[in-house]
Amino acid sequence: MQKFFPSVVMAALTVALTGCLQSEQQNEKVVFNDNPYPSTYKVLPSQTTLIKNATVLTGTGTRLDNADVLMVDGKINKVGQNLAVEGAVEVDAKGKWLTPGIIDVHSHLGVYPSPSVESHSDGNEMSSPNTSEVWAEHSVWPQDPGFQAARAGGITTLQILPGSANLFGGRGVTLRNVPSHTMQGMKFPDAPYGLKMACGENPKRVYGNRKVLPSTRMGNMAGYRMAWAEATEYKRAWEQYEADYAAGKNPTAPVRDIELDTLKGVLDGDILIHNHCYKAEEMAMMIDLSKEFNYHAGTFHHAIEAYKIADLLAENGNCAAMWPDWWGFKMEAYDMVHENVAIVDAVKNSCAVVHSDSASTIQRLNQEAGKVMYRANDNGFEVTPELAITWITANAAKSLGLADKTGSLESGKNADVVIWNQNPFSVYAQAEQVFIDGAKVYDRFDEKYQAKSDFMLGQR
Amino acid sequence: MKHFKLFTSSLMALAMASSTASVAESFAITNATVHTVTQQGVLENATVVIENGKITAINPKTVQADTIIDAKGKILTPGFIGAMNQLGLVEVGAVSRSRDASDKKADITFDASLAFNPRSSVIPYSRKGGITSNIVAPRGGEDIFKGQSFVVDLSGEFESVRLSNHNVIVDLSAKSKGSRALSLQTLQQTFADASKKLAKTKQKNKNEAKDPSRQDLIVNALLAGDKALVAYVDRASDILTLLKIKAEYSLDLVIVGAADAVLVAEQIAQANVPVVLAALDNLPGSFDSLHASLENAAALSQAGVSVALAVNGDTHNLYQLRYHAGNAVANGLSRDQALASVTANVADAFNLDSGRIAVGKRADLVLWSADPFELSTQVSQMWIDGKQYSTTSRQDALRDRYTTDSDMPRAYTK
Repeated sequence: MQKFFPSVVMAALTVALTGCLQSEQQNEKVVFNDNPYPSTYKVLPSQTTLIKNATVLTGTGTRLDNADVLMVDGKINKVGQNLAVEGAVEVDAKGKWLTPGIIDVHSHLGVYPSPSVESHSDGNEMSSPNTSEVWAEHSVWPQDPGFQAARAGGITTLQILPGSANLFGGRGVTLRNVPSHTMQGMKFPDAPYGLKMACGENPKRVYGNRKVLPSTRMGNMAGYRMAWAEATEYKRAWEQYEADYAAGKNPTAPVRDIELDTLKGVLDGDILIHNHCYKAEEMAMMIDLSKEFNYHAGTFHHAIEAYKIADLLAENGNCAAMWPDWWGFKMEAYDMVHENVAIVDAVKNSCAVVHSDSASTIQRLNQEAGKVMYRANDNGFEVTPELAITWITANAAKSLGLADKTGSLESGKNADVVIWNQNPFSVYAQAEQVFIDGAKVYDRFDEKYQAKSDFMLGQR
Repeated sequence: MKHFKLFTSSLMALAMASSTASVAESFAITNATVHTVTQQGVLENATVVIENGKITAINPKTVQADTIIDAKGKILTPGFIGAMNQLGLVEVGAVSRSRDASDKKADITFDASLAFNPRSSVIPYSRKGGITSNIVAPRGGEDIFKGQSFVVDLSGEFESVRLSNHNVIVDLSAKSKGSRALSLQTLQQTFADASKKLAKTKQKNKNEAKDPSRQDLIVNALLAGDKALVAYVDRASDILTLLKIKAEYSLDLVIVGAADAVLVAEQIAQANVPVVLAALDNLPGSFDSLHASLENAAALSQAGVSVALAVNGDTHNLYQLRYHAGNAVANGLSRDQALASVTANVADAFNLDSGRIAVGKRADLVLWSADPFELSTQVSQMWIDGKQYSTTSRQDALRDRYTTDSDMPRAYTK
């Protein structure tokens, strides 16, 4: 815990403002550890690596043909032509394509793992419409074989979210897709937490069946507003405590509330909203809700109708995470169009993301993005591979608050790289080698780099 | 807006689509790269003649037809066949009154074809995947027999059920309540009892014999080989048990699911039993599927098993069948076998007169812009029973509405 020493200036100011000269005996300041389950992730063994002669999609909207990528000390060092470095491991990628590591902003790996048995169903705390107090990381089973399968599909970073039964489902956690026998060993260092919220059918169905709020969409909105109002008071109470303490008083700290801590984290700008929200009219209301309570509405997930409000999303700085073609499983998924992602992306300052929400399609986010690209181009768009790749790399990193760390092949960023056997937007494309922080974590042709979960070991 | 230009020709295509769906007396598709999915293999610069909904000639010496369609070298394949989904029985999964695939009381006689809705929005959408016909599988109720599959075409027209009360579906997979042993035992006893009854009936004279029940008639048809038994089963040991039952009663058996079938591929091949599987299912979702793999379609095919691919899960994903085939190719299945796995092998498994380009077969045909399995490819033209259909769907209308500039609210853009 940090001791707090009020500055002389602050103290003088306080005296001037309050006209109060007495100085109280202060108790130790109440400060909470905001990172109680810290990352213990360690980069796997790595060497300076130079990948040569690839078709490179940088994740910044650029395509470089016959280009080289140099990875040094876990970072992208240089991308260009005819690079040469003494002592580097060279990989000839002639005829192959190279992209940033693929990022999935919406996964339930580890919390709804394979095998999907009763005792592994840990993704949805369906006991109250507001469970902001639960953290998905506390449910992650790191032995989910799905992590290995996703890695073979080029996934280097993924956000694990709680389910969507609740208005507030709890905190999500962003993981490095490295094998580990603890959750902390996978946790992306310094990644912001996400808060899962859910609009629409799921919360009102789950709680409506129990005759508690919400049973309607207006009930959903009331539920969010009551929670944010309470969180606003909680935040104010803590700020008052901090201010009084800083003023030399000896205030009593508010009672700590684990649920409100998370909501306060959003209001403080430390935790990012990840909102399961399909429909145009609901997303528009969620944006207004965020303005009412002064936070940012974050990323809309499963945003089936994002194309109807593409301008609004861009104007407000929201990312929309979308599928290329899932639809029809419920009413709020009825208005799918194949070009959704491209329509959202076409607006200036947009943030279009392709996500999976599936242990199966997370293995093929490249194909998911490809489907959108081709269908959009069939209908008058001009989407290039160098643009489409941003939907599953740079834009996804932005959605997770990691744009400064990963998602593109810029010098100084984490060396998260996938080498593909061909254009990744082909049905025949396969990831051949995957690097996280410059370390090889997967090689299609070398069993040494093919991890296996404890669960699969020795099964026959 | 970046990367976007206003596009109106898709609206025009929509307008034209309805007018192109007319029956020609006869027509010929010329200059096609014809994937026959027969011994004839691939025919370059080939001509296929269609008359009254049937293929009447391939590469005739002289082409006689009312209309000639120049394929310009594009690939022509049999229409793809969907299988084991709820097409036309479910409009929206979570809308209870749009669901007709199951009923608690459903038994072996369950004929869900009576509820088939040819106007379902899933049908034109699925045509985007080159699907021309489909085997619909009801999900039944508490009985191990889930009802009878039926066959539809994807014309979306009112008379599009081709075969009702076709094959019998049984679920022998792991149960969350109770034991799979009872499912297998029930199946065995059903056939044992029916065989005994049939033997007794033969001994009696016609006047003494009671009319068999509706249930009995269906079981008897299975015993006679007039219907196939289509069984959901994943675990290898369960597959072997089922193969024994098949042998004992000479059943026409189709295995669906088959996640761990690779462990007993040889036995399945020897028994000449076709397998319907989901090519993308590669996770150990249960203790019955520890050997699920993207390479299973290839491995089974190499072992001599006739493999048909089906899109599992939500029927709205049916159009993705061709991508599943492409992924199976990426994971070792030969291109020829992959094409067969969505055409001829499905037809063979379910006893259909489609799935190949050969004289006498139904003219369910798809002309592709390029490689049918590739993401970048589209359906150029398609015919069902010799009649041309568009791939335009409600999704296209929504896209056009929201990408067409207007001063008025979107609702006025139609």
